[in-house]
Amino acid sequence: MSTVVEVKDLVKRYGDLTAVNGVSLSIDGGEIFGILGPNGAGKTTTVEMIEGLRKPDSGSIRVCGIDSARGAEKIKQLVGVQLQSTSIYERIKVEEAIELFGSYYHKSHSTSRVLDEVSLHDKADSFVETLSGGQKQRLALALAIVNDPQVLILDEPTTGLDPQARRNVWGIVLRLKEEGKTIILTTHYMEEAERLCDRVGIMDHGRIIALDATRRLIEEVTPESAIELTSPDEGAEEILGRITGVSKLGRDGDEFILHTREAWSVIKELTRLCDEKKLSIESVSMRKTTLEDVFLSLTGRKLRE
Amino acid sequence: MKTLIGQVKLETRLFFRRRDDLFWTLAFPVFFMLLFGAIYGNMGWEEGGMRVVDYLLPAIIVMALMTTGIMATATGFAEERGKGVYRRLSLTPLKRHDIIGGQIINRYLIILAQALILILIGTLAFKVSIVGNYLLFWGVLSLGGFCFLALGFALASVIRSAKSATPVCMIVFFVMMFLGGIFFSTSIMPEYLQRFSNILPATHLNNALRMVAVEGRGVNEVWRELLIVIGWFAGCLGLSVKFFRWE
Repeated sequence: MSTVVEVKDLVKRYGDLTAVNGVSLSIDGGEIFGILGPNGAGKTTTVEMIEGLRKPDSGSIRVCGIDSARGAEKIKQLVGVQLQSTSIYERIKVEEAIELFGSYYHKSHSTSRVLDEVSLHDKADSFVETLSGGQKQRLALALAIVNDPQVLILDEPTTGLDPQARRNVWGIVLRLKEEGKTIILTTHYMEEAERLCDRVGIMDHGRIIALDATRRLIEEVTPESAIELTSPDEGAEEILGRITGVSKLGRDGDEFILHTREAWSVIKELTRLCDEKKLSIESVSMRKTTLEDVFLSLTGRKLRE
Repeated sequence: MKTLIGQVKLETRLFFRRRDDLFWTLAFPVFFMLLFGAIYGNMGWEEGGMRVVDYLLPAIIVMALMTTGIMATATGFAEERGKGVYRRLSLTPLKRHDIIGGQIINRYLIILAQALILILIGTLAFKVSIVGNYLLFWGVLSLGGFCFLALGFALASVIRSAKSATPVCMIVFFVMMFLGGIFFSTSIMPEYLQRFSNILPATHLNNALRMVAVEGRGVNEVWRELLIVIGWFAGCLGLSVKFFRWE
C-alpha cells in the first residue's frame, strides 16, 4: 500500500510547553491508524496540524503527495475531519447541514447517501440542537465524509458516548474502512484502538513512544496470555504442571493461573485433560494482555488516572 | 459568487429561526413605533406644524438599525464563534470572506426590510409623509446601517466570550437609545450629557435622517452629520480588522 499521509519531525510549542516534540508518521492507504495516549499527550495537536488547523513550528506534512505548506486548499478537498467537539449552527436541520457542507466542495455525496452511511435518516428533519450526543457525533461524521474524502481524521470520535452509541460509531468507522478510506483517529480508549486500528502509535509527552501493528504492539510488550481457572481436584496442580507450553503455573488454593504464549493449544490440552483424566474445572477465564498493559509497561503509568 | 449567494440564503434562514434576533430587530421597533405613535399620535411639536410622530419615524428607524447591527450581529457572531462554528468551517474550502460577506449582505437586507416595515406603519397608521429625497434617504439609511454593522463586528472582535456579548451589547444599545436623541430630544439634557450625546453616531444619524425625511433638506445641509457617522464607520471597521478573531 502506498503512503497517503507522511508526517516528518513535527514540532509544536506553546510558550515553554512543547506539545508535539518531533513526531514522524507514515500512514498507508486504506488503513486505520490510531494515535493513543492520555489527555495532554499531544494527540489532538498532532492531528490538528495534519488537518491544517494549526501551523507546525517545524517539520513537514504531506497528504496524498501534497505538501501542506503549499497546497492547503487542495488538501481540504481530500480530507474529512471530525473535531473533538464539532459545533455547527444550532438552528439548522441535519439534512440542511449535510447539504450545506456538501456545497462547499468540488464533489460531494448525495445527502441521502450520507444520511444512510451514518444512519440518521429518521433525524433528517430535526434541528441540530435537539440531537443526542451520539446523534451529534454521527452528524459530525456525516459532515466529515460528505466530500467523499480520501483521508478521514477523527479526533476522539467516541469520547463521552454511552457504550451503545460508541458501538454505532465503531460500526460506521469500520464500514468506511471497507470503502477504502484511510482513517486516522485519536483515542484514549484502549478498547477502541484494539477494535478499530490496524496500527497504533502510542503518544506520551509529545512523542510517539511506540508504533506498530496493534496486535504486535501488544505481543511485543507482554507476549503472554493468562488463563485463570478453578479446580477443586487434589491432583490438579500435578496435571496442570505437565501441560506443554505453560511457562509459569501459579496457585492460590483452588485457583490456578497458567501463563503461556500458546493460549489456544493450552486450552485444547485442558479440554482433553478434562475428558481423559476426569479433571474437573470450574470457571475458566482467559485474559489477553491489552494496550492498557502496553501503556503501563511503557510509561509506568495507567492511561487514565 | 454562487457560494456567497448560498451564504446569504443560509444567514437569512438562520436569522428567521433565531427568536432573539427576530424579537430585537422586528418586534421591538414595531412595538415602540406603535406605542409611541398611539401615545403622541397627532400631538403637535412647537416647530413648524410638525407632529411628534413625524419625528418618531426616523428615530425608530435608527433604533431598528442598531438592533440589527449591535444586537443581532455582535451577539450572533460571538455566540457562533464561541461554539466553534467558524473553527469547523475553516476546515472546509469555504472562504472567510464569503462567511462575512454573507452576513453583511443578509443584515443589510434586514435593515432595508425594517425600514420598509416602519415606513409602512408610519404612513398607513399615522399618516407620516416623507418629504425629502427618497434616494438620499436610502443613502443615509444605508450608511447608518453599515456604521452599526461595523460597530457590531467591532464589538464582536473586542468582546472575548460569548457570555459577555449579550450584556455588553445591551449596554451599548441602551446608552445609544436613551442618549442618542431617539426618545428624548438631546436639548432637554444637562450640558455634560449633551456633550456625550454629541459624540454618539446614533445622535447624528438620527439628525440626518430627520433632516432628510421630515424637513426635506439636501446633502449640502446634512453632510456634517454624515461625516461623524462615516467617522464612526471607519473607526469601527478599523477595530474589527485589527482585533478580528475567528476562534
